[in-house]
Order: sequence, then C-alpha cells, then structure tokens
Amino acid sequence: MIELVHLQKVYPSAAGEVRALEDIDLKIEDGTVFGIIGLSGAGKSTLVRCINLLEKPTSGQVLLDGEDLTAVKKKRLLELRRSIGMIFQSFNLFEQRTVEANVRFPLELVHTKRAEAKERALELLELVGLKEKAGAYPSQLSGGQKQRVAIARALALSPKYLLCDEATSALDPQTTESILALLKDINKQLGVTIIVITHEMKVVESICTDVAVIDKSRIVESGKVADVFAFPKSEIAKELIIPGLIRSVKSTGGKKLRLVFHGEEADTPVISGLALRLGISVNILYADTKIIDGGTYGHMVITLPEEEEKAELVKRHLTEQCVTFKEEL
Amino acid sequence: MNLLASKLFGQLGFEGFALGAWETIYLTLLSTLIAYVIGLPLGVLLVVTDKDGLKPIVWLNKIVGILVNIFRSIPFIILIVALIPVSRAIVGTSIGNEAMIFMLIVAAAPYIARMVESSLKEVDRGVVEAARSMGASNLQIVWKVLLPEAKPSLIVGAVISTVTVLGYSAMAGTIAAGGLGSVAVTQARPSNAQDVIWLCVALIVIIVQIIQELGMFIARRTDKRIQRRKRKTTEADRPQA
Repeated sequence: MIELVHLQKVYPSAAGEVRALEDIDLKIEDGTVFGIIGLSGAGKSTLVRCINLLEKPTSGQVLLDGEDLTAVKKKRLLELRRSIGMIFQSFNLFEQRTVEANVRFPLELVHTKRAEAKERALELLELVGLKEKAGAYPSQLSGGQKQRVAIARALALSPKYLLCDEATSALDPQTTESILALLKDINKQLGVTIIVITHEMKVVESICTDVAVIDKSRIVESGKVADVFAFPKSEIAKELIIPGLIRSVKSTGGKKLRLVFHGEEADTPVISGLALRLGISVNILYADTKIIDGGTYGHMVITLPEEEEKAELVKRHLTEQCVTFKEEL
Repeated sequence: MNLLASKLFGQLGFEGFALGAWETIYLTLLSTLIAYVIGLPLGVLLVVTDKDGLKPIVWLNKIVGILVNIFRSIPFIILIVALIPVSRAIVGTSIGNEAMIFMLIVAAAPYIARMVESSLKEVDRGVVEAARSMGASNLQIVWKVLLPEAKPSLIVGAVISTVTVLGYSAMAGTIAAGGLGSVAVTQARPSNAQDVIWLCVALIVIIVQIIQELGMFIARRTDKRIQRRKRKTTEADRPQA
C-alpha cells in the first residue's frame, strides 16, 4: 500500500514560493488502478514524482508498505525505487540502445547475469507484443510501440507498483485504447498496482477502480470511480467528468433532473418507460452514456414537467427503476 | 624521381615534410588523447554538480567553471610563454615535443571539458529521470546513460577538439617543437620559401579533412537516432491481436 501523509511541496521561485502540493493525503490500496486526474498545472505530475521521490517533498511522508521513503538512506531509496516502475508521456527510452537493451537496462543496474537478463527482456517484450522488435532502435518505433517498450522496461524488476505519468497523452485514441488495455491486463494478471496520472476522464473511466481529483495543488475529492463518477462533488470534478452537463443545465430554465447510470439499468429503457407507462414525455438536454461490460454508465439530464404531480410521478418511476437521480437547478 | 621530389618538396626534401606531417599528427593526437583523460571527467563534473545536475554542488561547480574559463581565455601563444617554467618543473624541459604536448594538454583540457559538458547537457532530461526512477545511482547514470546517450555528440566534439589542437600545434615552432607549423614558421619563413609554406598549408588541410571526415563518419555510424522507419505509424500502432 502507498500512503501519502500531509504531503507538501513548495518550490522557491523569483516571485516567491510556488506551492505545488498542499496537504495531500492519499491511500492507494494494493491491486487497485488508482487514477489521479486534474487539469494541467494542478500539481499531478509533481504528486506522482513525490511517490518515488524523484521530487523530494518539502514536508510530509510517503509510506511504501509502511516504510517512509522520505526518511530512508539513499541506498535504501534506490532499492525501494526498484519496486516502483514508471512510464512517461514522452516514453523516455534510451535512444542509443536497442529495444531489448532498453528493457534489459534495469536488470543491468542490479547486475543480473547477461544471459538471464536477456531472457527476461525477451519474455517481457513478448508480454507487450513486441518480441520481433527486440533488435530495433527506438527511433524505428511508433509512439504506441515506444510506450510498450517503456512498459516492458518498467516491469523488468517485477515492481509491485507502476506509475503512469500521462502515459497515453501523446498517443492517438486508438493507440491509447490498446495501451490502456495492456495496463489493465498487467494489473489483473501480474497484480501490479497502477497509479495513473491523467487529465482525461476517459482514461480514468476505462481502467481505474479508484480516483482522486486534484485541483490547485489539493486533492478535492477521491473515492471509487463509480461513486465519484455518479456524484461528483467539486466543481472541478463535475467539469472533468461531465463537461457538457454544467453548460446544458445552466442554459435552460425550469426544473431538471440528472440521472446517473452506474451499471445496473442496461435492460430497462428508462426514458421510453416514462412515456409508455406514464404518458409523460420529457426532454433530454444532455446525455453521455455508454455500455461497459453490459451495464450502462453515464449521465443524462432531462427536464421535469411543470406540474408538481407529474414531476412526482417521474421521480417515483425512476426510483422504482432504481435509477439514481438528483435535481439540478 | 629525385629531381621531381626536390622540385616538389624544395630544399626540405620528402623526408622533411613526412617528418613534419608525422609530428603534427603525433603532437595533435597524443595531446588530445591525454587532454581527454583530464577534460572528460571535468566535463562530467561540471554537468553532475550543476544546480540542475544529479548532485548539485554549487561551490565546486563555480570553482571548476571559473578555472576552465580562465584557461580558455588565455591566448595559446601567451599560455606557452607563461607555462615555460611550469613545463620545466613538471616535464623537465621547456622546449621540444614533450614540452609542447604538455602545453597543448593544458590548453585543450578546459576546452574539452566545455565540449563534453555541452554534449552531456544535450541528453534528454526525461531519459535521466527514467533511469532515476529505476533506482540507478548517480555513477550508473553517468556511465550507463549520460555518456552512452551522448556518444555521437561526444565524437563530434572530439573531432572539433582535435582540429583545434591541431591548430594550436602550429605554434610548436615557438618552443622548438616539430610539426608542419614549425616547418612553415621556423624553417621556410626566414628564407621566404613560399612553395614550402604552401605545401605545409596543403598538408595541414588534408590532415584536417581526414580527421573531420573520419570522425563524422564514425559519429554518424554510432548514432542510432537516425530515422530508418519503414512502416507508417498508423499501421504499426494497430492493437495487437
């Protein structure tokens, strides 16, 4: 488990202090895929670098299975870093090394025998689907392939954790999907706890189990993805999760309901049920739903009928259908 | 044949030029090589102790930086004169090839330190960060990341440094050392033997060309960043079955 306790990072600068992280408290349980989402400049890159102490926090603790990284000796820190793999937005492969030698690099650091290291490297390249590129150089690879090599390299020392710093931000949507699928596999099959830094909600949606929202150097909310997704509390979370929602809600008058789908109501058509059973038709102002593993996820905003009675009927119907909803003004 | 040789090489003869060329090459390469033994670690030190470096030691960085700048700013001809007593104390003589090599090293090492520094600073910071995230020690980062990743640039720097040292070596005549520069300045110049001077120039140009082309060829061969991609990105990026 990774625990961040009262983490603070302050940079001195010409214009005074820059507070990059303020009082961060986070618990990342083993086996989870933990998303940290925020806009650029929110402090998420600094945060992830504090986890493996690439950035030294100004104060606070970073506990790795109870061991405080900010307090250990340099030598121990280097050892502990080996249990935390990391991948980057810009891949950061060694340009003068072959793909295989890139993956072998972490093993060289711990003086693994060459033959053994080579075998392990090829094994990992097979895992990421790039065994045939073992002899190629990074400049001969596409972005997606580079990130696969980086993932293989990060896994070379069989880390317990994998930090992903905007790992898919430089990739096109299709490639992003395949990299995310690979990360999900790694989490499921190797049991690696993955920490994902991103500014894209779709990344969190598609692979994370937990999420923390960071804004202006602070964690503004965190929890299970389904919960935060259904009931975003902070403005920034709402903006990130349902960017169109706020605008659509504000642009029209009248009472509105926000329906939240988190997986259960796939086979009951809620809206048409309203019309067929109650004879009440509603306007859909906003809808962003998708079906994942057979369940519907997403948000929908509908207008409520003017009449109190009809409005009550709508709400009752929704409650019967076990749809979570919230009145929005 | 002898007639042709005497026509071509003047009073000096073929052997004179061959010796001069050989001494130029020998002075240049040996001095550059030894200067690298000093300049390379100095360059690494400048990068590592920089305020954004792996192990910032600001005072050490400042001191080394200032010393390097001082030696770099002294014109070589003045440095030679200034180093005469030093050379006598260290090498045992202040004239001849040995003394010249000593002086070339003193002049070239700081220059090389700066060349190495700039090459190492070209290495992508992200790559260094990746190595740190894997638990690499600073020493491992220098040996396994900075130097190998900067190799093509270091080779280009070595070519430039070698050519610079070759230029310096032309002043060897001042302290009775050899080489083509010495032939031109101390032997041909007093008797105004224009043909000898121009032949020296030609030979130096040829030597520089060879060093330049050979070095650049090696640098290109070493660099793995050259795009040799055949497939298009989109094709290669399709999710694997």
